[in-house]
Amino acid sequence: MSDRYSFSLTTFSPSGKLLQIEHALNAVGQGVTSVGIKASNGAVIATEKKSTSPLVDTSTLEKISMICSSVGLVYSGMGPDARVLVNKGRKSAQAYRRVYNEDPPVSILVKEIASVMQEFTQSGGVRPFGVSLLVAGFDDKGPSLYQVDPSGSYFAWKATAIGKNMINSKTFLEKRFNEEMELEDAVHTAILTLKEGFEGQMTEDTIEIGIIGGGSPPTTATGEPLPFAFKKLTPSEIKDYLSNIA
Amino acid sequence: MSIMEYNGAAVVAMVGKNCVAIASDTRLGQQAMTIDTNFQKVFPVTDKTMIGMAGLATDVLTLRDRFRYKVNMYKLKEERTIEPQTFAHMVSAALYEKRFGPYFIEPVIAGMDKRNQPFICSMDTIGCINFAKDFVVAGNAGGGLYGMCESLWEPDLEPEDLFETISQALLNAVDRNALSGWGAVVHIITPDQVITRQLKSRMLDWADPTVKDKAVRYTRL
Amino acid sequence: MLSEIVAQYTSEPTGYGAELTPGNFLARDAAKQFDSLSFDLPNAENPIDFLNTYTDVKSDNDNLIKLAHGTTTLAFKYAGGVVVAVDSRATQGSVIASQSVKKVIEINPYLLGTMAGGAADCFFWERELGRRCRLYELRNKERISVAAASKLLANMVYSYKGMGLSMGTMVSGWDKTGPNLFYVDNDGTRLKGNLFSVGSGATFAYGVLDTGYDHEMNKADAIDLGKRSIYHATHRDAYSGGYVRIYHINKEGWEFISLTDVDELHWQYADESRNRGA
Repeated sequence: MSDRYSFSLTTFSPSGKLLQIEHALNAVGQGVTSVGIKASNGAVIATEKKSTSPLVDTSTLEKISMICSSVGLVYSGMGPDARVLVNKGRKSAQAYRRVYNEDPPVSILVKEIASVMQEFTQSGGVRPFGVSLLVAGFDDKGPSLYQVDPSGSYFAWKATAIGKNMINSKTFLEKRFNEEMELEDAVHTAILTLKEGFEGQMTEDTIEIGIIGGGSPPTTATGEPLPFAFKKLTPSEIKDYLSNIA
Repeated sequence: MSIMEYNGAAVVAMVGKNCVAIASDTRLGQQAMTIDTNFQKVFPVTDKTMIGMAGLATDVLTLRDRFRYKVNMYKLKEERTIEPQTFAHMVSAALYEKRFGPYFIEPVIAGMDKRNQPFICSMDTIGCINFAKDFVVAGNAGGGLYGMCESLWEPDLEPEDLFETISQALLNAVDRNALSGWGAVVHIITPDQVITRQLKSRMLDWADPTVKDKAVRYTRL
Repeated sequence: MLSEIVAQYTSEPTGYGAELTPGNFLARDAAKQFDSLSFDLPNAENPIDFLNTYTDVKSDNDNLIKLAHGTTTLAFKYAGGVVVAVDSRATQGSVIASQSVKKVIEINPYLLGTMAGGAADCFFWERELGRRCRLYELRNKERISVAAASKLLANMVYSYKGMGLSMGTMVSGWDKTGPNLFYVDNDGTRLKGNLFSVGSGATFAYGVLDTGYDHEMNKADAIDLGKRSIYHATHRDAYSGGYVRIYHINKEGWEFISLTDVDELHWQYADESRNRGA
């Protein structure tokens, strides 16, 4: 009967705060910086890929994940926690597809993931997720970019950053962002943002970029328009961007 | 006696030029005995989508309510109206949930999508979708309806011609079916409106005040 | 040699199987014309069981041979004679096979039979009844009574009881005693009465008929009552419909009155009810 007393660790403090959630945010604050930008015709998310040792095979590290073909996300914070959310998000997207035979709109998927994160702030025997997410997608309403926090709250952004260097990055984005920016530009800006406060050499192996949108939408063989698909840039594609910047 | 024939029904949908039509008879029976002659079997889903159900009447009513609930929840969650294609898959999923104890209805869905392309489909009792570019039928007069549709339907009918075609197809099919008829309703869905008309067929309920003077009298072929 | 012996001890076959030629016409025994007819029977140990396996009117088994049924017929006596009214729908399952069936059989100028149940059985046995009634008339130099005629029919079908005949009929006519009405069915039931309705729509017809019946009503009202009763039965009963066919019988024999589309009656009655302010 000992579980009767295993209360949630997220119990209100006398001052009305949920300290565990604040601690989780601190965990995110120590995490590697990620940035996201919504362009006029697409969205981009990018992050640093840090390894603790030069011996790690960085090609197997993955911090940007596709959830379904119309949505991808990147995290800052604890990798294993993020993986749980990625799995749940993918399942949720497939459940939606199972019923409606189409990809979920970005907002629906974000709400779904956010509600999972919220549940972990109110259930017994669990702790909040030690991650914040940047979710990029493209649906009938166009491109969109969301941030989801450990508390389960979520926000839509034109451009933002999470993680260790978020303050500086956001200041940088505030200066660089404009509404007319197209995806190509946004990718450049995202790289430049990451470069601010980047420790060590920025190469195609030390950053990760995911994009959706740009150009004209794909079509079927008969010319019917198809939704844009989320994709991760390959190291050689990233290399091209980097060489343009340099 | 098949449970699918307990109450009796005939439902049909057709594609036209920038429009679709969906129609049904209005009989409700208990086997041979006619209980009601103004029983609705076609229901609005959105401004541009309708669903018709043929089969066991109690399931028709239950599913009408369930689908309304689901569509309302969809609208609240997604802040958009459901597309006919999406709705069709939703219905299919709902029916297959009851794979081993099905609802005894065969749905017919008709609507105009967001690009104002006509959409129709029908399903079996456990949600196998039949997409069609011309017409779909369901109910006891199904065989007869197919015959009428095959001979009367043609591509690119304007709304008024589509109305005439679907009306004649339905009326002449139910006149050869003992379990359906007793009045009919036709809905023509265009990008900006739904036109609903009552047909005077054999034995339409003349005592019903909603029917009395509005119904259109049709001479059968 | 053998064939001569066989011929000596074998009587001429009777009934419909026998070929009627000038040669055997005179040799025919008139008395035998009242014998039971001979039918080919299934070549099985028990023909009745065999038949019941493959034909059954009441069974739901789709593999069985279905005989046409689903009908509303009615007949009633009143001061002015007899009114006979029937619908005209034939169904095979839920398919409407015909909307123009004639369910009144004119046995002779003074006798009418109605059809419910198996169409072929009703038609065959009522024709056979007509033949026998005519023979009776030739022999006895007077018309057969309705009671006797209906008894002939009842006895004929009774001899085939259990073999799957399906027939629910009303035999009506005018004889020495005045108007007469009998109900006869394939079980061998024979009932004398003032008012009958037979078929799947009978309950609905009875409702109207019993409410509106008055023995002293005039001919027009009687005919209208018959028409309304059938119409209301066709309205409620899916297996009845088409046209209302009406006959009237008085001492001059039967008279065909009308054939009306129930759809026309439907709108006619609708207008009436509206004018009454219903």
